[in-house]
Amino acid sequence: MERKEFLKRGFGSLLGIATVAPLVGGCSKTEVDPTTTTGTTTSTGSTNGSSSSNCSVTPSETEGPFPTKSPANFVRKDIRDDRTGVAFTVNITIKNASSSCAALSGALVDIWHCDKDGYYSEYGGSGMQSVNLTTVDFLRGRQTTDANGLVSFTSIFPGWYSGRAPHIHVHIYNSSGKSLLVTQIAFPYDITNTVYTTAQSYGYTKGAQDTKNENDNVFSDGFTTELATVAGSLSGGYTLTHTIVVNA
Amino acid sequence: MLANRDPCTLNVFEKYMAKGIIRLCYRKIIDAASQKLWDKYVFDDTYQEFFMQAQYYNQQGKYSTFQELLDNVPNADRLHHLISSAAIGYIRQLNQLIPDIANQTGKLCLPFSQFNFEIIQSHVQKKPDHRVAISFYSDELTWIDTINTMLLIAYGQQQEALREGKAIATDLISLQPYLSISSYQPIVSHPVL
Repeated sequence: MERKEFLKRGFGSLLGIATVAPLVGGCSKTEVDPTTTTGTTTSTGSTNGSSSSNCSVTPSETEGPFPTKSPANFVRKDIRDDRTGVAFTVNITIKNASSSCAALSGALVDIWHCDKDGYYSEYGGSGMQSVNLTTVDFLRGRQTTDANGLVSFTSIFPGWYSGRAPHIHVHIYNSSGKSLLVTQIAFPYDITNTVYTTAQSYGYTKGAQDTKNENDNVFSDGFTTELATVAGSLSGGYTLTHTIVVNA
Repeated sequence: MLANRDPCTLNVFEKYMAKGIIRLCYRKIIDAASQKLWDKYVFDDTYQEFFMQAQYYNQQGKYSTFQELLDNVPNADRLHHLISSAAIGYIRQLNQLIPDIANQTGKLCLPFSQFNFEIIQSHVQKKPDHRVAISFYSDELTWIDTINTMLLIAYGQQQEALREGKAIATDLISLQPYLSISSYQPIVSHPVL
């Protein structure tokens, strides 16, 4: 067994022994969660040891590193993970209709879209399967708008899947997490058609999309305010620019 | 090959056989009563994430509980996975050691790399109703024997070392609530040549 593993598993390494408090009795717990009584306030600690069915050895050491606050996995600017494709930058500006379309700072913006082949990140099925610690959750991200109402993501140009025009999902929240708007961003057809019909060497091998914005069941009721500006090239990557107006 | 073996030799081999290769599963419940700092972080952050993400599946605000969303909204079961994103940073901070489950010397000892996150219940307005579970699946262990209510185990697959008569590092794990054996693989007897 390697030394690192040996230490991790704690077979009485010198370091480990040094942290173990002296045992008072053979079966005493070496550390108990405190039951604090101050004035009239009682804070009850662990109930471990209260019965024969609730009786397990209390860990004698600090449980790993002291935990630190950790943001959700998808709080990130670069949402690619292991996905490849044509380089794509998403710039979304959030404005507030309640203040004459001034920029809305401090809003949380979630985006998610499919990969070049039209697949979304796995949703974990029924919730019964276990997943590995290193599991990736691709093409989903969250950023907070800056003073200009802008969020920016680094991604790959989305592909398409049957029955839908290409799109990006967007969910905008205020700073406390209250939902302000759920919407989708549509793409100009000339750009997506160029990518889907000429970017085979980047892995876009499905050919032209089967659904245009006009025929899409989400966008067909009018998509002028949902249509993004997209500019760029296959080699240089594309940049999407879009403004979304919410009531905050 | 087995047919050629002397029955007495076979007994010697079986004497040193372990009971099997197992994985242990510890299902850790986290709710408003949880006391440890790690648990509180997971509770707070997964509730905030539930509060946010549930709104996508509840855009008319018709439902209050997670169960109502599951019963009425297609794909609301994706919330298990979506909310797990708020917990995985904390799960990674555990350094691949299952929390709470100590060996007989009081140390955390069980390595894991697989987990499952589930929302047991939640409520879009009532944070105290939020309750989640994280199941930690240990890496493979060799179950050598059972002593009272404790499992004598070695880490990884150690059947070869046992057969060869080598001394191996072991550990004792108490059976306890929320700790289960989640997989079992028999050890197939092969002669040592």
